[in-house]
Amino acid sequence: MVRRLEALILSVTCLSFIAAQPAAAETVTIGIGTQDTTTNTVTAGTVVRQLKLLEKYLPRDGKYANIKFEIEWQNFTSGPPITNGMMANKLQFGMMGDYPLIVNGFTFETNPESKSRLIAVAAYSLSGSGNGIVVHKDSPYYELSDLKGKLVSVPFGSAAHGMVLKALQDGGYPSDFFQLVSQTPEVGSTNLQERKIDAHADFVPFAELLPFRGFARKIYDGVQTNLPTFHGVVVRTDFAEKYPEVVIAYIKAVVAANQWLRQDPKAAAEKIQEWTGINKEVVYIFLGPGGNMTTDPTIKPALVDAAATDVKVLQSLGRMKEFDPKKWVDDSYIRKAYAELKLDYDKELASTANYEVSGEDKFCNKPITEPRKAGEVWVDGEGISAFSSAACTLGAYADYKAKGKKINVAYVFDTARGIKLFADLAFFAAANGEIAPFLLKKDAEAYAAKTGGKVMGLDEAVKLAVAGGKT
Amino acid sequence: MSSPALMTSPEQAAAPAAPAAATPPSRPELSSRAARWFRLNQDRLRGLLIGTASLILFLIAWHLLTTYRVVFFVKFTNVPAPLAVYASFTKAIHDPKFLMHILLSCRRIFIGFSLAALVGVPLGLIMGRFKLVHEIIFPVAEVLRPIPAIAWVPMAIMLWPTNEQSIVFITFLGSFFPILVNTLHGMTLVDPVLVRAAKCLGARETSIFREVYFPASLPHIFTGLTVGMGVAWVSLIAAEMISGQFGIGYFTWEAYSLVQYADIALGMIAIGVLGLGSSLVIRAAGQLVMPWRSR
Repeated sequence: MVRRLEALILSVTCLSFIAAQPAAAETVTIGIGTQDTTTNTVTAGTVVRQLKLLEKYLPRDGKYANIKFEIEWQNFTSGPPITNGMMANKLQFGMMGDYPLIVNGFTFETNPESKSRLIAVAAYSLSGSGNGIVVHKDSPYYELSDLKGKLVSVPFGSAAHGMVLKALQDGGYPSDFFQLVSQTPEVGSTNLQERKIDAHADFVPFAELLPFRGFARKIYDGVQTNLPTFHGVVVRTDFAEKYPEVVIAYIKAVVAANQWLRQDPKAAAEKIQEWTGINKEVVYIFLGPGGNMTTDPTIKPALVDAAATDVKVLQSLGRMKEFDPKKWVDDSYIRKAYAELKLDYDKELASTANYEVSGEDKFCNKPITEPRKAGEVWVDGEGISAFSSAACTLGAYADYKAKGKKINVAYVFDTARGIKLFADLAFFAAANGEIAPFLLKKDAEAYAAKTGGKVMGLDEAVKLAVAGGKT
Repeated sequence: MSSPALMTSPEQAAAPAAPAAATPPSRPELSSRAARWFRLNQDRLRGLLIGTASLILFLIAWHLLTTYRVVFFVKFTNVPAPLAVYASFTKAIHDPKFLMHILLSCRRIFIGFSLAALVGVPLGLIMGRFKLVHEIIFPVAEVLRPIPAIAWVPMAIMLWPTNEQSIVFITFLGSFFPILVNTLHGMTLVDPVLVRAAKCLGARETSIFREVYFPASLPHIFTGLTVGMGVAWVSLIAAEMISGQFGIGYFTWEAYSLVQYADIALGMIAIGVLGLGSSLVIRAAGQLVMPWRSR
């Protein structure tokens, strides 16, 4: 009897569910193509996914009362497959680097159903950092000119490809200065490790990740081209026009992800390592304070101009016909999102400041006043401490070691270019108690020659910092 | 532009086939040799005509589906039209680099496939003849066989000193296993009565091998070679990702990384045509080696 009653109740509830269904019938699938391993897209993809930020901001009332959203995240290692998925309408949102973004916009020009629009930026570097050229650590190459006649690989059509072309142009080198071949990051990394190629140029995070993994050395950083680079988010216009509120919600989620990251960069780096497999120390060098990438969703005019320069490069390679990046950018959604969040879009648009290393130097006992001359030490299990100068950082480094602490990594800033470096991979020029870190050996040598000092590696510099006492 | 021409040709192609078959007897004054040749090759001609017609129909279907951007569950909205692919083809053939891509790929396939045949066939024969060898090698082969070419890429880079060798290695792997397995299969199907008969007639091991086992398993060996050739081309894209510079597989891959759909289709078709060509070569070789099997 009880059984039958149970069955009855069950079937009635089932029926009521079925009856209730038609009212909330429409399910809208939102396909989002992310690049988890491309560290500077995480605030627009991985973080939003993992913290369920988009769900938080998705519209629920008005015309959306009867719509059920289904978010489908797909992860890729480069931009082109995302463009492919977007063209096929399997993905409505996609994030990728500057060159793939332009190719995305251009490819959509021929699509009769929809175009694509750049609606937000994930992260950028106005000076072009993030991309870089690495060589095997045991090879005798220290700068671009050393690569004459050598075999260099780069993923064609990527932001790094653009950097290589610009670097050649800047150096006044002919296009056959070295032999340039196309290899994906995965293939290029293995080839470099096996020394099948002399150098590999790549985008975030490989130019830092490969040196960090111990077999490569960066000899060229994108800052040397001084051409801005960025990763951004594109959306299909047919989707955006039908559900503009969803696009706005997405941008709000990106803003929230940025806030989450900056609140506690160390914890964020650890989480991102857990989600993406990229080492936290590498994540931190890009996204931490004073990092090589600025996470900022606003679409800066400088970035759009850079995109126009990129278009010219692609045109000169015969890869693209007419394309106007200005018409492809659509900031109406992000402006609405900022307004709804009560944030000042124009103010953030005008600012190109990153958040910086700050606080009190506990080793030299003074406040950090010049963040791009500062340094940080990450002690395993304890956290990251900031120091006011390279010498203080190295002194603290020695101090931690003496206390038997395990140091994950130490960061210093390039004296000439202001980019963040792994201390163990930097070159140091030391003179009169001052220690100046550099990415490039030639910069360190030039500085040493000017100041009458000498060039050394980390170990020697640490000894010097200890001997020189606290500066 | 070419579509009206394409439209008419299947009817033209189909029309002469029927009367042509009927002509020879009604016109005895025509060279009887030609008639005889025609009669002998009637089947082949028929196949050729129908084959051409079906290819043309395929092109027309492709053209119409993409021109009208047909959507019925599968979407042809952004699939490149045959004319667009033809345009990138005309551009490509004027580019010496494209020829280089094709030549290099053919060379890689040739070397990889030849090595696979030279190793796979004898190994299969030996494994089929000697149980111990079979027991030792078969489990390893069975484990390695399902591994797709693309998964071999990192290992291939590390194993071989040069990239060219890595690429040849991957095409080799692709064709090796089908050849080995088919040869083995051929060996198991050899009629034991034939072997016993040869033994009764006093044949030694080497002659049994040469006169009985090998010819009897040849048809299967050639099946293996044809399948192996197909898989070698399949492995090509994965292999040529390593080179980063040349090869038709690389051409297709690069087109993908720059999202150029017409070039992707061109690369696919080129691989298809080259694959067809190499299969025909193997089939012709098979007919030369096994004249008793020509149909």
